Amino acid sequence: MDPECSRLLPALCAVLVDPRQPVADDTCLEKLLDWFKTVTEAGPSLLLLQENPCLVELLFRVLKAHDPRPRVLSFSLRLAGLFAAQEDCFQYLQVTPSSSVSQQGELLPMLFGESGPLGGAAWTAPTVRSGWLQGLRSLAQHPGALRFLADCGAVDTIFSLQGDSSLFVASAAGQLLVHILALAMRGPAEGHPSPQGCDWPACAQKIVCHVEDSLRSTATLQVTQALNVLTTTFGHCHSPWTQGLWVRLSPLVACLLEKDPIPASHSLVDLLLSVARSPVGSSDCGLWETLAQTLSHLSPTQAGPLALGILKLQDCPQALKTQAFGVLLQPLACVLKAAAQAPGPPGFPEGATGDSITVDTFLSSKSACVGLLCQALAHLELLQLLPQRPSPWPQAPLLRAAVAILRFCHGSAAPTSDVGGHLCAVLAGCVRVQRAALDFLGTLSQGTGSEEGLPGHTQVAPGLPQGPQLLRPGPPHPAVPRRYPWPLQELLPVLRKRLCSPCWEARDSGLEFLTQVTRHWGGQAAFRHALLASEVPELTGQLLRDPESYVRASAVTATGQLSSWGLYATPTGPEHPEVQQESLFTELLHILSTDSEGFPRRAVMHVFTQWLKDGHADVAEDLEQFVARVLQAASQDLDWEVRAQGLELALVFLEQLLGQPGSRCPYAVALPEAAPPATLAQVLQALCRVQLFEFALRALFDCDRPVAQKSCDLLLFLKAKATPCGGPQEAGASPDVVSVEAALQRWQAGEQGQPLGELEPEAVMAVLRSMDLEGLRGMLAKSSDHMEKSPQSLLQDMLATVGVLGENEADCY
Amino acid sequence: MPEIRVTPLGAGQDVGRSCILVSIGGKNVMLDCGMHMGFSDDRRFPDFSYITRNGRLTDFLDCVIISHFHLDHCGALPYFSEMVGYDGPIYMTQPTQAICPILLEDYRKIAVDKKGEANFFTSQMIKDCMKKVVAVHLHQTVQVDDELEIKAYYAGHVLGAAMFQIKVGSESVVYTGDYNMTPDRHLGAAWIDKCRPNLLITESTYATTIRDSKRCRERDFLKKVHETVERGGKVLIPVFALGRAQELCILLETFWERMDLKAPIYFSTGLTEKANHYYKLFIPWTNQKIRKTFVQRNMFEFKHIKAFDRAFADSPGPMVVFATPGMLHAGQSLQIFRKWAGSERNMVIMPGYCVQGTVGHKILSGQRKLEMEGRQVLEVKMQVEYMSFSAHADAKGIMQLVGQAEPENVLLVHGEAKKMEFLKQKIEQEFRVSCYMPANGETVTLSTSPSIPVGISLGLLKREMAQGLLPDAKKPRLLHGTLIMKDSNFRLVSSEQALKELGLAEHQLRFTCRVHLHDTRKEQETALRVYSHLKSVLKDHCVQHLPDGSVTVESILIQAAAHSEDPSTKVLLVSWTYQDEELGSYLTSLLKKGLPQAS
Repeated sequence: MDPECSRLLPALCAVLVDPRQPVADDTCLEKLLDWFKTVTEAGPSLLLLQENPCLVELLFRVLKAHDPRPRVLSFSLRLAGLFAAQEDCFQYLQVTPSSSVSQQGELLPMLFGESGPLGGAAWTAPTVRSGWLQGLRSLAQHPGALRFLADCGAVDTIFSLQGDSSLFVASAAGQLLVHILALAMRGPAEGHPSPQGCDWPACAQKIVCHVEDSLRSTATLQVTQALNVLTTTFGHCHSPWTQGLWVRLSPLVACLLEKDPIPASHSLVDLLLSVARSPVGSSDCGLWETLAQTLSHLSPTQAGPLALGILKLQDCPQALKTQAFGVLLQPLACVLKAAAQAPGPPGFPEGATGDSITVDTFLSSKSACVGLLCQALAHLELLQLLPQRPSPWPQAPLLRAAVAILRFCHGSAAPTSDVGGHLCAVLAGCVRVQRAALDFLGTLSQGTGSEEGLPGHTQVAPGLPQGPQLLRPGPPHPAVPRRYPWPLQELLPVLRKRLCSPCWEARDSGLEFLTQVTRHWGGQAAFRHALLASEVPELTGQLLRDPESYVRASAVTATGQLSSWGLYATPTGPEHPEVQQESLFTELLHILSTDSEGFPRRAVMHVFTQWLKDGHADVAEDLEQFVARVLQAASQDLDWEVRAQGLELALVFLEQLLGQPGSRCPYAVALPEAAPPATLAQVLQALCRVQLFEFALRALFDCDRPVAQKSCDLLLFLKAKATPCGGPQEAGASPDVVSVEAALQRWQAGEQGQPLGELEPEAVMAVLRSMDLEGLRGMLAKSSDHMEKSPQSLLQDMLATVGVLGENEADCY
Repeated sequence: MPEIRVTPLGAGQDVGRSCILVSIGGKNVMLDCGMHMGFSDDRRFPDFSYITRNGRLTDFLDCVIISHFHLDHCGALPYFSEMVGYDGPIYMTQPTQAICPILLEDYRKIAVDKKGEANFFTSQMIKDCMKKVVAVHLHQTVQVDDELEIKAYYAGHVLGAAMFQIKVGSESVVYTGDYNMTPDRHLGAAWIDKCRPNLLITESTYATTIRDSKRCRERDFLKKVHETVERGGKVLIPVFALGRAQELCILLETFWERMDLKAPIYFSTGLTEKANHYYKLFIPWTNQKIRKTFVQRNMFEFKHIKAFDRAFADSPGPMVVFATPGMLHAGQSLQIFRKWAGSERNMVIMPGYCVQGTVGHKILSGQRKLEMEGRQVLEVKMQVEYMSFSAHADAKGIMQLVGQAEPENVLLVHGEAKKMEFLKQKIEQEFRVSCYMPANGETVTLSTSPSIPVGISLGLLKREMAQGLLPDAKKPRLLHGTLIMKDSNFRLVSSEQALKELGLAEHQLRFTCRVHLHDTRKEQETALRVYSHLKSVLKDHCVQHLPDGSVTVESILIQAAAHSEDPSTKVLLVSWTYQDEELGSYLTSLLKKGLPQAS
């Protein structure tokens, strides 16, 4: 431990046990524990306690306190657990005389035994119960701990805490049981113990018997607790003894299936899947039967997650997979049946025919119907993306089902059956189902790409303009097929409508969609032709002046993308068609310099960087001028992310001039050799002309750390590139570095206003060589967070708060 | 029995990050989704694993409601919707919807800047999350689905802050979020109607405090700023871009105008422009005074407050600068602080709470030598002041709100356990309602009595009215009829109508009893004696002697028969209907006493 921390610790311990002193901040004790955890993990705890007797003193005094504060008591329990994780320290704490003669005794039994907080008034506070469990969790690491747990009767308390009124406590109790079970089985019983448990350690035997009793219980809560313990056990422990455990418990689990209704079905599904995924699953044939039985016993909504889980399993009998897939398809089969004009099978594999149970669920209530459909669509969507999805994949009927659902949603379906009529009533205008169906459709379209999918698309397209949410927020809706162009004559009017929507969300999603579509199809003649013939590019241009900054930013990205493909013609003003409009570059530069919001300015920087990388026509026209103007605008930006992106652009420029940092990055793709790298002197001159040095050097002392870090990286790259060839120049006339160094000092002092003036490349290089950029990079990597997070700072803060906590303590945000 | 369950994942006996789960009428609602700024790892977010266990989140949770834009109430929202995977509706008021992303973005930039953190949401995630938001108007009932509806009430506190009523059938819960019962310079006081919810979940930040007048604090603040500026010093006020910053701007602007002061006031970031724009846009959400004067002069168009340029910090002479972030832990405010900290003439005023580890926290706790990067030590000579402008209801305000809403139960959140305990007792004593204060993770379960609507048939009502009893909603009264449950509908009809509707024949149930009498006379004579006796005793009732020899009193039938074994004993067979049960019992007991001797 740091000597300074060691010095501060006694005072802090004194504060913690003083009931008159409030504990600073509710996060402080947590952070203190974090620190002790790192300290105890890094070295011997026993030494720590011996060198800092105030810690044991703290534990004693908290125990002896008449009315201990729950937070401090909880902290002490957890702290004691951390120390006792090491066996020698555990023994030390078992019988520890305190430095104070009046305080002696067996510390750990006093903390965790029945004479401790367990029986006291403080036990009513959940934080104390939680601290007790967490303390034991840390402590239970060695055989000695097991004996201790048995001696102090802790396991029985943990059993009762499984049903605690606090979720956190109950969950921690369950996890602790698993941990203790695994610890107990780690010792002599490791191997293949008998299922009967006669050779199991007493502690493990006790826990398993408790689980058995709980599984037999008629109270659902107890069954749930037992199932959760087992789920965690099979999820985390993969030792051979878990096989014996399953053999012993599986009949009891199977008994649950015979009850009606099945208790704790959700937890049961979790357990069965957890077992199936563990090594136990591959060796137990009975498990597959249990899974099949469970699938058929559960209601459609409950069976969905189990079916998906089964289909995700690597090794599982084909028959079970078929059954599971059938369960997932049932709701869609029902929909197809209900929507069918003519009788006939829905076209799904055998087993998915739209059974009566699913129909009953559909008819029971609106929320049940909506819930089941959304769940089925979400599960099938997930499944479609997996390599182990069922084959053959019923692409065509799935597409038909999704289309049918969409038709039900916007009321264009003509139902012929009762169920169809019911679906019409329930799904009409239901945005949630509509969204789910579209998401599913999007994923389907990315799927196999088989030709059978195509007719579906054309069917769906007319549905698109109807719904309000159809171009989903976020990334453009994947309902756009990647492999096959959408019917553009239908798509573009929809897009145009959305770009004119009064909702910013719709305009923004429209623009994001356009960007994506252009990225994929920008080179395809049909798309180019249709797009140019539509008003979409003009509208996009107009949205550069949208009142909503998110939309302006998306418009910047979209125009940038359009322009990269030559699809953006600068709009001519309708009032003055004869006036030559400014280029997109000028317009974006204007946004960069004047927009009051960060999003559009950042978007402009992204577009410019991309243009520079791609060699965009506007950039290639006068590369130096482009870079100079952009850097000038970026350097003055108040948003550090814009400044950081300015440096990103500067780096791309540097790489283009000097070549990739090949020697450092063996995977980098070399630039085309069309334009041979210029000589270093020319490059440096160019960098001076575009004022890249001034920008980068200023950024080195930026008040925002990421900017300084980026600049440091850039200058290091430059230094590395320039140094090998820099020798002769260095040997020549010594450049005038005084003015540069003076400016750097001013900037470092925070005086950003001073300009640097004309720069000599040699002077800059000389300054760079003399600077300890590596050291600076190391310091920046630590950041001032290094100070904020240090234990010393924490201890100082906690001590400093003593006595000054008044009104401000509860004055939150 | 239906029940309401409440589990705080945050704000249960603390003021960290509000996140409260409510189950009502089978619907699950999350109230607020806040972040704890005191942590820089996953602990800053509520532990959502307890709800993700229930399968797909969107299936389990019906909606999320955000009370206002402070990060301890909405900071985890992009994490929850974009990283944890909630895809359902999110409700908040329009100003919250507009301002929330600014604050989230502000915080994201600081978090990423200073901490270089992983597992934090991006700009795109904030935007995608905001697209899932549904804006609600005050007092507008929003139907989340067929059964669940919500309604927003004005909460004061900050622009757009709202209290929400959540209703499923006849059960309802009101969640206050943070609120203020006294109007301040730009906002009005919280208000709710007498909605009598089953449960009121209220914040209790100042559970034990009766706050002094805000005017005093404002005067104090202005005095300190004025004195510093007068002696040529500089004043730094670290703020978050919104909320308190606007309040202080109005305060200084009016003071500057009144005192004709010339020292410049700067606002350090472009964010505020947008913030001020929103304050202008949402003028209906501000208080009456601002709304009234709006036409002549918009309070948010500041004459004296100008945008700050980094170079200004080095300018000589006095000035006041508002700079972000508010806890002096990064960026512009920290940079200016470093420059000005060395001079006794300058002053920093912290108008809000600072978490441990920040420079703001250190100087507020009195530390004057701060270790900065690279082992540099910064000596703080400037004056450090703390000014609380927090707009929470104090104990009096909380009691006032409970009085207004008249809930059946109260649940306290967003406060400290000890102070809550005090307020809990006070509420229980004064309002005679149960008050709860669960810790995080603890579930409070309340049983509610369901109220089931029953239709009454016109016939039955008419019959009641015929008896001169007009229906009165305020006076509950007993009504006899037959309850028919059909197609999940309940109807109360007359028994005749019920029989008719159900196609059933009427059956009569009669009670019978045998009374033995010592009488040697013939049966007919005994019957006659019974008749005479009853006639004389029951003067108000209709007693008849029928030709077949039996006697009737109302529906009660009495027949005399000979005893099969004892000829000197006669058996009286008495039978009566349920309606005349009382009279029947009385008659039996009367007859058991025997007949008077014939005179």
